[in-house]
Amino acid sequence: MSFRLVRIDDRLIHGQVVAGWLRALGAKRIVIVDDATARDEFLREVLTLAAPQGVPVEVLGLADGAARCLELASSPEPVIVLARSPRTIVALRQAGVPIEVVDLGGMGAGPGKRRLHKTISVGPDDLASLRLLEEMGTRVEIQIVADDRPIPFRSLDSNQ
Amino acid sequence: MSRRPGGPERSHMYRKTASIGAALALAMLLAVVLPGTALGASGPDPTPVKFTVSVWQAALIAIGYYLANSPWLFGLAFFTLYRPLVAGFLVGLILGDPAQGTLIGAAINVPYLGFISAGGNLPADAGLAGWVGTTIALASGLDPTKAVTIAFGLGLLGTIIFYGRMAADSVFAHWADARAEKADIAGVAFMNLVPGQLFLFVFSFIPVFLLALNGPSAVQDALNALPIWTVNGLVIAGGILPAIGIALNMRFIFRGSAIPYFFIGYILMTATHGSISLVVVAALGLALAYLHLSFVRRDAPAPAEAAAEAAAAQAASAQAGSSPAAKTPVAGPGLAIRLTRGDLVKSWALWTFFAHANYNYERLQGTGFAHAMTPIIKRLYTTEDDIRAALKRHLVFFNTEPNFGNVVHGTVIAMEEQRANGAAIDDDAINSVKSGLMGPMAGIGDTLSQSTITPILLALGIGIAGGKASGTVVPTLTGATGNPLGPIIYVALVSIVIVAIGYTAWMQGYSRGRMFITEILKSGAIDRVLIGAGVMGNMVLGALAASFVVVNLAPTVTIAGAQMNLQAAVLDPLFPGALALGLVVMTWWLLRRRISPLALLAVYLVLSIVAAYPFFGPASTTSSDPAAQYQVCTSSLLHPYYACGAPPAPSAQP
Repeated sequence: MSFRLVRIDDRLIHGQVVAGWLRALGAKRIVIVDDATARDEFLREVLTLAAPQGVPVEVLGLADGAARCLELASSPEPVIVLARSPRTIVALRQAGVPIEVVDLGGMGAGPGKRRLHKTISVGPDDLASLRLLEEMGTRVEIQIVADDRPIPFRSLDSNQ
Repeated sequence: MSRRPGGPERSHMYRKTASIGAALALAMLLAVVLPGTALGASGPDPTPVKFTVSVWQAALIAIGYYLANSPWLFGLAFFTLYRPLVAGFLVGLILGDPAQGTLIGAAINVPYLGFISAGGNLPADAGLAGWVGTTIALASGLDPTKAVTIAFGLGLLGTIIFYGRMAADSVFAHWADARAEKADIAGVAFMNLVPGQLFLFVFSFIPVFLLALNGPSAVQDALNALPIWTVNGLVIAGGILPAIGIALNMRFIFRGSAIPYFFIGYILMTATHGSISLVVVAALGLALAYLHLSFVRRDAPAPAEAAAEAAAAQAASAQAGSSPAAKTPVAGPGLAIRLTRGDLVKSWALWTFFAHANYNYERLQGTGFAHAMTPIIKRLYTTEDDIRAALKRHLVFFNTEPNFGNVVHGTVIAMEEQRANGAAIDDDAINSVKSGLMGPMAGIGDTLSQSTITPILLALGIGIAGGKASGTVVPTLTGATGNPLGPIIYVALVSIVIVAIGYTAWMQGYSRGRMFITEILKSGAIDRVLIGAGVMGNMVLGALAASFVVVNLAPTVTIAGAQMNLQAAVLDPLFPGALALGLVVMTWWLLRRRISPLALLAVYLVLSIVAAYPFFGPASTTSSDPAAQYQVCTSSLLHPYYACGAPPAPSAQP
């Protein structure tokens, strides 16, 4: 499989991703799977233009995104997949996209969310999805930047 | 109730908070600089002398470290006082030897050239390394190369302070929520500023004060107890660890057609035996950058792909124009409630100062955003409900790069203005602009400010600082005396560039909103800046590597019956600095292979100390006898710089 990184990050493309992960992994393409973002023409354009020159960005809804990920999973191209919420990754898995490890990289705080680790806060929905992912055989790891040591989600999830 | 809930009393308190803050900052800055200058006037001794740090000096250094993490210096502390180059100069002023302090700070800064802090993540505390590292080195008379190694350890320790603060500030964000619930505008501003700063002051002042006061003698004792060869090992490491910082920075700019410029910079420096000024190298780099942009350019991918991409973007923007949801909020004339220029400037200033005043895990810049919006909210909304809603709307999680990312604030302010005038803009519309744009703008902003502009200007400043006070540069740090112009020029340049970017982004974001964002991204202007900066950056970085990375073989060979040093007699005539260059490129390659910089650091440190062991001679004790020292130094694998010197006395020669 060719995904260099499958990351849950509600800011999608930002400093940690562009200056950190992209360089560290030498990825050549970014695929963003998010229904709401894919519908917003302006955001799509901004995200496409925000990545460094020579790194194409595709912003796709869930259905198109799953198909595209399946296609890319068997290609040798180094790809980063970004999603805003764990639920998207569950949907990708259910669509048959092979994801061995998913990186929980950034989820901002909000009403009904509690802080899991540093800048990562989760709500009940997110927790359920993350646990489901683990059950489906996808390891969930917290690794905010490439130089960090990955922390298994299981070791932080006390209710399991 | 016709009176605004945040009425005269509160707004008075709010203005007072801001002016007290500004006065405090000024007083602290003067407190740091003035006594230091007075001390400095007594005449710095060119040879480092051991002395004790007084309670007052330790307190000033601790205040300096607090300021480096504080919002008081127009939000520029992170780019200025936090950098070891600048910290070294200021510690030097405080302790009475600004030139040597600058030199030490410059050396300490090199491993942090690739330093980036994004999204509430701090790899190491460069600030603590600079402030305490310079203090210890200066007070115990260590040469800069030993300081590098000790400071790097301090930097790792310092992250505790940062993460402690990030956790505590999350609590204060909830205090701000409570004020927002009461529609208390000044209260929200207060909570963004005061509790976090009080905590930070205590949490940063105490450890640094104690370290500054007691660190030098502790380190001195430890060094005295060590055998000579291990101390030599620290010096060797001081020449090797900078390779990591330079390689970390290379990860950002050592790419594509810009790669040769790194070698040009390096060779220029070694071929002239370091007699060329870094400023000259930078000027050459600028000229070459222009040529590169005109004639080479384009590390571009397959043209077909780029064209398709552009076509897609065109189509998207055409559609965006017709879609009402994507309509650009442009503040036009004819609005009933209008923001004044003053409101915008005030809001921008509040953000620039206090974006990170209460930086925390939970919301990152959330309370800072709300604080910046206070002048806008005051102007636009009058009913308690509207004010409460606006405060709560802007207290949510937010994080972007606080300069280029200001386009988000400008855009949001324009939307708020329209909303206050009755436009159908709901919370969702504002939230989606904030949450959708903050990431991509941070991506561009961090690439510009943190991984391009800052390191290149720092490299320039370090290069100037690492030379002689007269301005000439020396091949290695040995013989350098330190030039305070380095940090001064760096601070001036970085401040101008960062403030200019922040102000332009803010105002353009307000007046032209989304149009500005798409226009600037599509124009390719940012790419041109990055490519040009990459060319110049590679030149300067290469030149810097030649000055600060040092690998010298110690073993001798017999040539024509005479014993000669392998390095000086064989390698240097062929290609001076070849080993150091090899080390830098190898480090860059290892980092690209996803080897962790911390692991590399540990390995390099151990190897440096092993390489200092006198394999080819008797293992010595801690003897201070020059003959014994010379013996230990010359019989190891690597020289600590050229520090072995000449044989001390005829009788001691082998």
